Amino acid sequence: MSGNRDFEMVSERGWRRGFNNLLNNELSRWWKTRMWWMQCLIWVGMIGFMLGAVMFGSPDFNLTDGVMFYTIFAGMFPAIAVIIIMQGVLVGEKKDGTAAWVMSKPAARPAFILSKLLANSLGVLGTMVVLPGVVAYVLFFIRMQIPLDPLRFLAALGVIFLNQLFYLTLTLLMGSLFNGRGPVIGIALAFLFLQQYLIGLLPGLRYLIPWTLVIPLNNEANAIVPSLLSGQPIFSYIPLIAVAVECILFVLVALWRFNREEF
Amino acid sequence: MNKSAPPVIETRDLTKTYKGVQALRSLNLQVQKNSIFGFLGPNGAGKTTTIKLLLGLIRPTAGNATVFGMDIVKQSVDIRARVGYLPQEPHFYEYMTARQTLRFTARFFFKGPGKAIDDRVEEMLHMVDLADKADRPLKTFSGGERQRLGIAQAQVNYPDLLILDEPAASLDPIGRRDVLEVMSKLRKYTTIFYSTHILDDVQRVSDTVVILNKGQKAAEGPIEELLAGSEGVIYLISLKGDTEAALKQVGSQPWVSGIKTGEHGDETRWQVNVSDPQAAEAQLLKLLVNTPAVVTEFRRKQYELEDIFMQVIEGDQNVRQ
Repeated sequence: MSGNRDFEMVSERGWRRGFNNLLNNELSRWWKTRMWWMQCLIWVGMIGFMLGAVMFGSPDFNLTDGVMFYTIFAGMFPAIAVIIIMQGVLVGEKKDGTAAWVMSKPAARPAFILSKLLANSLGVLGTMVVLPGVVAYVLFFIRMQIPLDPLRFLAALGVIFLNQLFYLTLTLLMGSLFNGRGPVIGIALAFLFLQQYLIGLLPGLRYLIPWTLVIPLNNEANAIVPSLLSGQPIFSYIPLIAVAVECILFVLVALWRFNREEF
Repeated sequence: MNKSAPPVIETRDLTKTYKGVQALRSLNLQVQKNSIFGFLGPNGAGKTTTIKLLLGLIRPTAGNATVFGMDIVKQSVDIRARVGYLPQEPHFYEYMTARQTLRFTARFFFKGPGKAIDDRVEEMLHMVDLADKADRPLKTFSGGERQRLGIAQAQVNYPDLLILDEPAASLDPIGRRDVLEVMSKLRKYTTIFYSTHILDDVQRVSDTVVILNKGQKAAEGPIEELLAGSEGVIYLISLKGDTEAALKQVGSQPWVSGIKTGEHGDETRWQVNVSDPQAAEAQLLKLLVNTPAVVTEFRRKQYELEDIFMQVIEGDQNVRQ
């Protein structure tokens, strides 16, 4: 219609059609609402408080204890939060009809999934990994009087993020496969908590699932994050590669499944 | 309506089956440019299924369709770039305001300039009378306000085709009147394809009507043709006094195909079927005036869309299959 002459039309094509608009909207949900500061408050508060209590409450504190506490609090608990946040991202929109409304606009289905993936990944990275990580680094420095190797610390944060990304993409995948919140959150949480048991049954799984990124199994094989933080060599790079590949696979399957979704 | 232009919507044996249940069976439609196309049918007739197929929200089980000549499966996003759609029950992000919802919708079509987008949003808010509620979160909106917002978001991109699924369903009579006025005004710019169960609205604004029943097209035609009925032209006449001569005279005319007679009080009532409406219009009343009978009522039978709809749905009549 004639009115369109006043506008610069959207020129994105293919899978990117609608992506910028959807991404801006998803980022707004994280960064223009109370979501970001609530998450910051929770994770900076929890990790900072617990780590501070261990560091400054015990006269015989050592680096190994500090690293162990930090990796459990920064690796395990935010993973639960990621699953809880992500469980409604797709299922909620499929159930309340907003996904159908958005898909009635010129938006590609991959753009819908990828905008949620990217925005939530950045939200998790900022509020659950980087900010609490900076606080932890400062606490380590104050207590130990010497700074941890910043590059190894950054690498450790990267691995912690990869761990959270695994649960984020797994929950996204579950959201594309199921239409109820129950199976989505149930399967993701069950996987999180059953990993140690599964590795007990099939020891080879320690190279394939994210448990050994953050949680040490036994004295033989330390987890990757504690090794990075305490300056020790990591037991294997395979878990890093495997988890990264799994994240990509989860996203690809979610894209394929969402492309077949009927609204 | 522009019949010389290629059809805006064309479906060929479009079929949709859900878990063994045929929601739509071999639908063939052509919607002409700048027409207001009314899509009628009872609940479960397949109206919303057809609309979702056209928008690429679901995939056809068989058959195919084009919108603006583009395939509904392969070019769905390109089709949606030229369409405005109002769902039957609009669902928006509850945390957004009306203004944010319209801006978000507009950004699927327009990159900028921001001022032009904001102006268009403001124009739409005024059009649906939501300007004073523009910055309230949608969770505080009533059903009617959501519907009005739905109408606004469907038009924000100046669509070439407006698809409205029950646009007046949750509106009060004034809101309904306003929607019909907007539809009539938009006719010269756009094509409107809308489903409804409010037959009065269809009769007021539509050019062409399709009646769907149980997933199949039960009737189709320009509104005037449908309203003419399939029984042909009928005159309803009431007479008093001696009607025998009149009956003989009228019955002898070559353009009279049948007369049904009945008594009502002291009146005789006739239902005269005619095969040549022009001849009947010119001669019928004159014939009666020249007889001893007194004509107390004389009118051509007018069908309401509701009559046609009920006949089609109940299977009493097959209007142009």
